[in-house]
Amino acid sequence: MSNKETNFQFLERFDSRVAELARQAEKYVHTDPDSCMFKLRLMVETMAKKLTSLQMRGDISQDLGAMLGALERSGTVPRRHADCMHAIRRDGNAAVHGSPTPVPTAMRRLREAYKISGWFCKVVKRGSKITLTDFHPPAPPVPLDTTTETLHLRIDELEESIEQRRSATRESLLMFGPQEKIEEVSRRIIEELQALDNVAAAAGEPVIDADFVALVMAMDLEQIEEDPRHGGDSRQARREAEQQLDSIKQHLAEREKAFLVERTFLLEQRNTL
Amino acid sequence: MSKSEQIQLATLWFLSARAMAVAGEDMPTVQEAATGLYAQAILGFSEEVCLEAKDAGHISNKTLIDCLSGVQQLPKEMAEKILTGVMMISYADRKMKPLEVRWASMLASAINMTPDDFQRCCVNARVIASMLRPQGSAA
Repeated sequence: MSNKETNFQFLERFDSRVAELARQAEKYVHTDPDSCMFKLRLMVETMAKKLTSLQMRGDISQDLGAMLGALERSGTVPRRHADCMHAIRRDGNAAVHGSPTPVPTAMRRLREAYKISGWFCKVVKRGSKITLTDFHPPAPPVPLDTTTETLHLRIDELEESIEQRRSATRESLLMFGPQEKIEEVSRRIIEELQALDNVAAAAGEPVIDADFVALVMAMDLEQIEEDPRHGGDSRQARREAEQQLDSIKQHLAEREKAFLVERTFLLEQRNTL
Repeated sequence: MSKSEQIQLATLWFLSARAMAVAGEDMPTVQEAATGLYAQAILGFSEEVCLEAKDAGHISNKTLIDCLSGVQQLPKEMAEKILTGVMMISYADRKMKPLEVRWASMLASAINMTPDDFQRCCVNARVIASMLRPQGSAA
């Protein structure tokens, strides 16, 4: 692809601001990958704002992470695209906070932004027919020397390994495995539950007091905690659960920091090569 | 506990949790993520164990009867933790459908839980559900 061409021409008729940011990101990918990430992050933020205004009601926080979370929870953004958008947000934030972005990382995010853009157009204008052709990576302004090419390959391998580790973390947290057909499994479970329900009802098995369940759900948490029957246990449970949750969250945050350190270390090798 | 025992236990957890989530009809992402978070933070499973537990070889041939039978054989403390987590899944959307009540009832019966113990699990589940609910989402 020559310097004057763009992968994002199709975006212009759907959202000129997003198209402009995409083109700028594309322009900077080789010469200033940090700026490329700023532009991509802004592009994703612009998309997220447009999607929340079009698809969601109520007050949505303008924080990008919160917006993406809300869009994902509402089903507006599919999980695969949300992952890509979060990756751009994360790397954009890292660049803003001084962590250098390697060219292969910026290129990877640019490619992801391209895929998201095709989907975005279909959402903002329903019925739009967008057929994305292959992404053409922008050519570097000057051909890369062998040393830089080798370094880029190593960084790309590292990025791939980081993606895999992130993906494993994410998959481990979800209810269904990646190979499972959720609708099929859900249907089977419902059939089983209904059969068990019929058997239990026929056998006259007592049902847990549904009124009590409704009561617990309706009560304010503070009231429950103040109840002398539960007070100690609830407070203790909260303390323990908070500690455990914090340790997991801290573990995940530390892993993200470690990813950045690995990447920065590799990028610094350029100076020693 | 050996790794294979941990995987077996994690499989029981994911089966119980998804039965409750499916019984609730809607399945918002928060419930999905809460399942794994609970598995790792409260039940103490590693990422690897969680992944393996959801592997087809472990989970796809198990029915809810197997799940009830497995829960029945657990030590009381662990069984209560599983029931608490299942109730947390149920509370995530603050609604309870008849099949959710039935599934909770079956699990409670399988582990011979007294009404007092069940109430305690409900309260703890409610506490944890309130912590996992993300900012800005509907109550």
